[in-house]
Amino acid sequence: MFLIFIYIINNKYGGFVKKIFLLTTSLFFFSFGSNGETLRILAEAGDEATLTVAVSQFEAANPGVTIETNYLGWDDFMSTIKLKMADNNPPDLAHGNQGFTVDGTLIQSGLVISLEKYANQYAWKDSFASGALSEFMWSDDGSTWGSGSLYGVSPVAEDVIVYYNKEKLNSLGLSVPTTFAEFENALKVSKDAGELPIALGGADGWPIIHVWGLVEGAFVDPNQTRSWIFDAKNVQFDIPNRISAASKLADMASEGYFGSDSLGVGYDDANAMFINGEGVFNLTGTWMTADFNSGMGDNVGAFAMPTLDGAVAGGGSFALPWHISSKASNPDLAAKFLNHLMSNDFVDDLMGVGRVPAKSPTINPTSNLQAEVIASSNALVGANAKTFYTDWASPGMYDTVTQELQKVIGGAATAQDFIDAMAAESVN
Amino acid sequence: MTINNNYRPQTKIDYSSYLYILPAFIFYILFVLFPLGDTLITSFTQWNGISEKKWIGLENYSKNLSNKKITSSIKHSFILIVFYSFLPIVIGLLIAGIMIRVKIHGMATYRAILFLPQILSMIVVGISWRWIYAPKGPLNSGLDFIGLENISRAWLGSFEFALPFVGLIGTWVMFGFTMILFIAGVQKIPTELYDAAKVDGAGAIAEFFNVTLPNLRGEIIVALIFTVTLALRNFDLIYITTGGGPGTSTMIPSMFIYKKAFQMNQVGSASSLGIMLTLLIFTLVSLILIIFREKK
Repeated sequence: MFLIFIYIINNKYGGFVKKIFLLTTSLFFFSFGSNGETLRILAEAGDEATLTVAVSQFEAANPGVTIETNYLGWDDFMSTIKLKMADNNPPDLAHGNQGFTVDGTLIQSGLVISLEKYANQYAWKDSFASGALSEFMWSDDGSTWGSGSLYGVSPVAEDVIVYYNKEKLNSLGLSVPTTFAEFENALKVSKDAGELPIALGGADGWPIIHVWGLVEGAFVDPNQTRSWIFDAKNVQFDIPNRISAASKLADMASEGYFGSDSLGVGYDDANAMFINGEGVFNLTGTWMTADFNSGMGDNVGAFAMPTLDGAVAGGGSFALPWHISSKASNPDLAAKFLNHLMSNDFVDDLMGVGRVPAKSPTINPTSNLQAEVIASSNALVGANAKTFYTDWASPGMYDTVTQELQKVIGGAATAQDFIDAMAAESVN
Repeated sequence: MTINNNYRPQTKIDYSSYLYILPAFIFYILFVLFPLGDTLITSFTQWNGISEKKWIGLENYSKNLSNKKITSSIKHSFILIVFYSFLPIVIGLLIAGIMIRVKIHGMATYRAILFLPQILSMIVVGISWRWIYAPKGPLNSGLDFIGLENISRAWLGSFEFALPFVGLIGTWVMFGFTMILFIAGVQKIPTELYDAAKVDGAGAIAEFFNVTLPNLRGEIIVALIFTVTLALRNFDLIYITTGGGPGTSTMIPSMFIYKKAFQMNQVGSASSLGIMLTLLIFTLVSLILIIFREKK
């Protein structure tokens, strides 16, 4: 190849090609020669608004520092992040994803560093209840999850809660349910009145994980669910309470609480339906808050799913973790930027871009919905009732749980089939 | 062997001529042969994409063969062959057969319109058809309009109908290709054969089976190879329309390859499935060539 290139350079067009060659190589060398500090960030696209604010603040406060941000949409990000971090010239700071599939692999391969040193320096752990950051904790060989050293942090909370159409709930003579039985009754009343009880985009599969997380949470102690997710191989999945939860989900489907077409509707379409007044409830994540608020205004409310005994339950976690690359030229600078995101001063900025901060904000919510969402989130944090997402449990779990849940919703499998398939995948 | 006096004996090989194919050959090695060999080697290893490859011999292959989800996905592929290959060829032949007997004004326009699906991106096709099949999409609205509310449903969300309805999208995409191929083939058949058939008193059907069909054998082989290959390696259409769901009802091997490589950290296993799929396609293509070969 190189010989061909030399040949081209030396032929009659050589002068032009040679100039381009020299120009590009010199650019290549000079780009390594600049003196200012540069921090390179690769983020999932959902964080663009947040980072735009943070980057301009940080650059203003730290003259001479340049931050380069790159964004990739969810699918592209998740399918390439491990390769990008394994590259010889990886980003200094990048998102990962909780679980063995991404975070575990990055730690096992030594591609990201422990953040313990910086967590102590900046007192990150002090802001949260003990154990609250366990989803970011790993053994240093990346083999066990849920305890050990801190490998990631995030300033943002994402909770799975229940959004509802206020007008419809009122006209049905219902109030916000405070126990799971009341929630079930509200579904029945909605159905009997000819309303679609729950707007669900089951065609995409993963939205059903959120529904399952809430029903499971109503029946199963959150500690049991979390310990299963951290160590699915050794913690039993098919416990009686979880079997009851699965039966309940199957009953809800056969009662028609998700409508008859939910497996043919995608997540975005289901949310559009809900915004346009179809569906009394929508069981989804707090990342939808801004969209619902702009689409429905004061007609939308939110609450944390009540359990059988009137406590609260929910899926959800922190947002995607930030990791510092083990090849970062200046990890201290990366940590300093991370601390900017984690700082108390930035909490209100997170509110401003419509996210739910993991720490309590000091400013008032910008809308009724945001107030109710933050109240729900606080209730879940206060009860230590967040149960993450079922698919975190193993690399093959996403496939199994989405497929099996679609079967339950479509009536193609029983609750017991679901439990058996999940228990088998747990030890796979 | 006849001796050709004009034949210039090559006493020395003119190596400079190889330079002409060198660029193409380099690309072929870089982008076809090297990845294929690399995939083959990877298929015998356990590899998460960034770790050291661990040699495990044929374990990936034996696990694939005993995985019921994978074997059922291969069954789905064979069902898709009916829709991607068999139906388009029948439809294409039918149109070609009609073309011979009936003169239609503006045929070129119809041909262009019927060929259109073939040149559209599969992503566009998938998104459009997902909308057509949606619970409140045009198909169901049409059914409701003519009083068939009872059969309208979420077609792609149905465990019974999702696979055949994805298949029908494939039929829609592929029949333009087979039609163009067969029409071109028909035009090359000597008109004397049709005249002779007419003299012998052949009707439209006899003419089709005795003249048109035998003379299109070459085109049918090409169409079969092309469409069967597409049915087996098809990924984008399923990915866009159903993602393999609901449940596993439209799961196909190429979806597994994607999921294993990019979601499950099983690049070795994904490679072995890729090699198995390649072998399956190779076998089927060979079978087609053997079955349809010219009888001496």
